[in-house]
Amino acid sequence: MKHFLRVLTQFLVFLYCKCLWQGLKFVVRKVTGRCELQRICYNNKPGARRTLKIESSLKCSKSELLQSAVSVHPDAVEKTIDDIMVLKKIHPDTNPQLGISLQACLFQIVGYRNLVLEVEKLRREPYDCENPEHEDMLMQLWKALRPESPLTGRISKQWCEIGFQGSDPKTDFRGMGLLGLHNLLYFSEHDKATALQMLHDSLQTKLSKMSKAEWEKKKFDKAIGYSFAIVGINITDLAYSLLVSGALKTHLYNVAPEMPSLVHFQQTFCYLMQEFHRFWVEEDPCDIMEFNRVRNKFHKRVLKQLKNLDMALCPHFTASDLHLVNL
Amino acid sequence: MGLLSILRKLKSAPDQEVRILLLGLDNGGKTTLLKQLASEDISHITPTQGFNIKSVQSQGFKLNVWDIGGQRKIRPYWRNYFENTDILIYVIDSADRKRFEETGQELAELLDEEKLSGVPVLVFANKQDLLTAAPASEIAEGLNLHTIRDRIWQIQSCSALTGEGVQDGMNWVCKNVTAKKK
Repeated sequence: MKHFLRVLTQFLVFLYCKCLWQGLKFVVRKVTGRCELQRICYNNKPGARRTLKIESSLKCSKSELLQSAVSVHPDAVEKTIDDIMVLKKIHPDTNPQLGISLQACLFQIVGYRNLVLEVEKLRREPYDCENPEHEDMLMQLWKALRPESPLTGRISKQWCEIGFQGSDPKTDFRGMGLLGLHNLLYFSEHDKATALQMLHDSLQTKLSKMSKAEWEKKKFDKAIGYSFAIVGINITDLAYSLLVSGALKTHLYNVAPEMPSLVHFQQTFCYLMQEFHRFWVEEDPCDIMEFNRVRNKFHKRVLKQLKNLDMALCPHFTASDLHLVNL
Repeated sequence: MGLLSILRKLKSAPDQEVRILLLGLDNGGKTTLLKQLASEDISHITPTQGFNIKSVQSQGFKLNVWDIGGQRKIRPYWRNYFENTDILIYVIDSADRKRFEETGQELAELLDEEKLSGVPVLVFANKQDLLTAAPASEIAEGLNLHTIRDRIWQIQSCSALTGEGVQDGMNWVCKNVTAKKK
């Protein structure tokens, strides 16, 4: 009985708050003569600040049209905006900017949803040795990272040189599937200097900090900084979870003025790799066994950064490179 | 039951803690097994750099399971985790016949370790869901498990992916953990 009363009270409080909120919205609308969507657009600059608020306003709306707007097909965005304008009785001639602003927001919102689907599809596609496209990408990765030394065979110990675990990289992609390979290849081809530097640094043992005898005593002779490719696959996992949890919205809404696409995700990956490397050096862990500790700390730091609505994660690429609008 | 009484119950009957070490070659399925034990999602597994640890409650025990990366470069670190181990679980990819010899060597070296002497060992013949998987009996023979005299051991076929056989193995662990503790 007590439990039931508690639930009932909570429900009533919820209803009361909801009524209060709706009432408040109604009053503000009457006073300012603008609906909530208009107010958001007028009071917030474009980017994550505006789009996130528009998104939650649409999702919480009573109107079915507004609720379903966040999941329409990109081709239907323009039509949806027209419908919304009609529903909200906003005349396009008196508010020419509003339609454009709303459309931009909605493109970002549906773009993000589609990006999640696209990334998920890549992740679910396992690496397949029989598929010439997959094999081709793997070979390209080798060429990008080790241009000087040709591969002696498809199955080769050489793969360890770029940080795979064994002589056949296919088993290392695992839960990240083709997404891991796409990311690694993008990083190695589009941000080559950084990737090569990172690979080079990752191969350095920490010999300098220990005397050689001590090193050998500990049998750490084979130990390295970390494994480049494996770290790439783990950072892919990190980027993926940021995307799926919605944490990346802040970043993508700020850097992609139209629809966020796979390229934006891959650039985010490049940034995360570079930052992780810097973070690893700063943290100065004794050995690779601390990887997950450092990774979790890094994850928390990125999440904290993304809480800032003005945050964008890619300062490394110049805006002209990416056709990005710098906010 | 309220939150307080749950807390009190937890406090009054502390479970016996068991330290379990999960070892084996890379791509054997250690992390999948660990996540399966903890009833977590197993679709996002990535190669283990370093180690993972999880605590699982089972049959009145608190199992602290240490999953250490199996990459060749990490294997020298295994020894740092030997101390106070109650049970060793060794995971084998039953479909990766090319590496049976390598996995056998690693296991033999582990069994020679002083710090692991007398520690019961459970060998999981994993990936039985694959058509090409060798049966547990064949693996046991290949690894000469029958010559082990200095400890109790068991081989259990399983699939960490589907969960089949995992619980049987863990039942064996819980049954034999006391033998070592006394």
